[in-house]
Amino acid sequence: MKTWSLLLACACALGAQGLDPAALLKPPTDAWPMYNGDYTGRRYSTLKQINRDNVGALTLAWAFQTRSTAMKGTPIQVNGIVYFSTPGNVWAADAKTGRQIWHFNRPSEGNHIASRGVAMYRDRIYFGTPDAHLVCLEARTGKQIWDVEIADIAFGYYLSVAPLVVKDKLIIGTSGDAADVPHFIAAIDPESGKMLWRWDSLPEPGAKGSETWPNKEALAHGGGPAWMPGTYDPELNLIYWGTGNPHPVLAGVDRKGDNLYTCSIVALNADTGKMAWYFQPSPHDTHDWDAVETPVLIDGTWEGKPRKLLAQASRNGYFFVLDRTNGKHLLTTPFVPSDWAKGIDAQGRPIPDPEKDPQPDGAFVHSYANGGTNWMAPSFSPDTNLFYVNASEGYSMFYLTLNDQGKPEGHQGGASNSFWNRALLTAIDYRTGKAKWTRNSGKGAGSAGILTTAGRVLFTGDTSGNLLALDPENGTVLWHAYGGGNLTNSPMTYELDGRQYILMGVDGVLYAWALPLK
Amino acid sequence: MQLSNRWRVCAWVLTVALTGMAEAQAQIPAAASQRAGGQRISPQAARAALESEPAQRGRAQFSKSCAFCHGPDATGGAEGPNLMRSSVVRHDQGGDAIGPVIRDGRPDRGMPPIPLTPQQISDVVTYLHAAVAVSDRSSAGNPANDYSLKRLLTGNAEAGKAYFNGVGQCSQCHSPTGDLAGIARKYPPVELQSRFLYPMGKPETAAVKLASGAVVEGKLLHLDAFYVAIEDKSGWYHSWPLKDVKVDVHNPIAAHIELLSKYTNKDVHDLFAYLETLK
Repeated sequence: MKTWSLLLACACALGAQGLDPAALLKPPTDAWPMYNGDYTGRRYSTLKQINRDNVGALTLAWAFQTRSTAMKGTPIQVNGIVYFSTPGNVWAADAKTGRQIWHFNRPSEGNHIASRGVAMYRDRIYFGTPDAHLVCLEARTGKQIWDVEIADIAFGYYLSVAPLVVKDKLIIGTSGDAADVPHFIAAIDPESGKMLWRWDSLPEPGAKGSETWPNKEALAHGGGPAWMPGTYDPELNLIYWGTGNPHPVLAGVDRKGDNLYTCSIVALNADTGKMAWYFQPSPHDTHDWDAVETPVLIDGTWEGKPRKLLAQASRNGYFFVLDRTNGKHLLTTPFVPSDWAKGIDAQGRPIPDPEKDPQPDGAFVHSYANGGTNWMAPSFSPDTNLFYVNASEGYSMFYLTLNDQGKPEGHQGGASNSFWNRALLTAIDYRTGKAKWTRNSGKGAGSAGILTTAGRVLFTGDTSGNLLALDPENGTVLWHAYGGGNLTNSPMTYELDGRQYILMGVDGVLYAWALPLK
Repeated sequence: MQLSNRWRVCAWVLTVALTGMAEAQAQIPAAASQRAGGQRISPQAARAALESEPAQRGRAQFSKSCAFCHGPDATGGAEGPNLMRSSVVRHDQGGDAIGPVIRDGRPDRGMPPIPLTPQQISDVVTYLHAAVAVSDRSSAGNPANDYSLKRLLTGNAEAGKAYFNGVGQCSQCHSPTGDLAGIARKYPPVELQSRFLYPMGKPETAAVKLASGAVVEGKLLHLDAFYVAIEDKSGWYHSWPLKDVKVDVHNPIAAHIELLSKYTNKDVHDLFAYLETLK
């Protein structure tokens, strides 16, 4: 009897290689089942085979050549198969050898700037496309099961987010910065592709928040895209998501007011999409300071007491800590020097300096034009209690372009020029907002995400193409390798058959690093 | 969306049939570019299309027949909606959606029929598609090189001159009658503004002191946390692990970088106004 049940168990394990959404509540170390590895967005792994003492011996396990555009997404790995994407492409490969299992290609029009990755629900893979469709594939074969239109490509919508699986739903959001449009976050039925709920970044006329817009026309076209996947607290049943810039992007003249809920962190009920609370890091944004960077969930201590926290290093150059049960603001500190804001208001929001708003003759701003950080993932290590972010410091000119009628020219209504800028890896004590250490990552802007592990190692890259393993306590280099280009994605890790792998994307190549085989 | 999807699929099937699978991917944008929205042509190509003869004829026609409601640049007026945000315009294929609206009007919304010839309608359609493409491809990046001097020139040239010769210490390296003579004629205004803030293209040099005590000098090609590489005076490449050498870098624009942390917004515009006088 025992033998039979054992055989049966083996047969099941071999037969069904899907992912039960319940497993996402406590992801096993032999998988990296979603964009951020788990729901917290900390990008911290409990694995420690590769550790501070042996990481110097790290060597190439395999490389996968996509012959595609830069990989800006994070692969997922389930049951020994790694799934990853670039715009219009998904691959499945052997997580131990890097050999391709299948490749799905879907040519389309639309913005091919980035795909953040795929999601897995049971035995299916999901990904968004440059023409704003959501596609469902059979994980075993890569064959398409369905393809639904989420938003209208004629208005420049596309999907860059990796869908987030929450219970029996896929959470997605729309991207797009070509036309003045409304954006939204939505829950999709993984079986049918049907939309189950939709939360609009822009409130209905008359609803709370609509008073932060001057009129219906501005409100109806006000933007608020969702460029990045969010996080989730199962106990509170709340999804946390960052929204992006208002439209028109750089010209605020026709949208006076705070422009809710653009450049905001929102908490949504996972079942209904109803907003529980919001916090707006950049009120009335005119610099493209998307607040879409990962809302990282920290179960930390605040003033000596355990507290459910949410921390974001936002594109506007400020680090925010909130109570994630109710959105109460706890801390705002700059993590890079900037001068676009002239102070912090009572609610903890930076106060924009009108002089630093884009101007027809150019406003000289002490900020890198693409922001203090961007889409690359930050990381939080509970071992060091430090929040790590790849930051950018620089100087720029922001121009405002209005036509003869005083209306914004084109969708942007402005332009910007960046001058000298550099990348900095900054380790922030989340309780004070102060940097414990900072490491110069080089001239120019970085796109390297960060991973920390219980092996006391931080993985990232610099702007000179060096892939790095650092000591998270102080930034000391423990290992480095040149991968032929800059790290273009955020690293991830898993352990299979007793070997820990670190995956990093460098342009079109995916590298897997591991300790040498004995 | 339904209609345009079907059109796109038709165009794609046709393309595949005509050219074979291998070239199909490259052909799709061409088929799609008949539509106004969703284009991924370059901003330059979009502007060129707007400057084309049919689009300019269309713009003139639009001014005469449509602008009184939809505004002079089709972004909306007192009566008519912003056509850059119009679903009819964005889903139009070669006039199939815009044409009937012009011919028949939209009596339910108060728009009268506009009596235009098929050629005039075609021109207006071409103009609207080009205008949408320019609007959609307007970039958050660098301002266009033809950015108007009138907009930029708000500073005080005298104050700029004083800054140049005074606190800015620009005159220590530059001269209005020497290297900067005629500088305002050499660069478009917006480029001049960028260039004085952060001049590009002047390579750093480095002196690399080897363990032997010998010093190798040249153009700095690479410097990161681990390696330094230079091109020596004869044009040969050399590199060393950083731990084995001592590197002394000279950045010819170091003074410009230092000024970035000192300028006020006013300094920048005054200095620019002064440089614009050097014609």
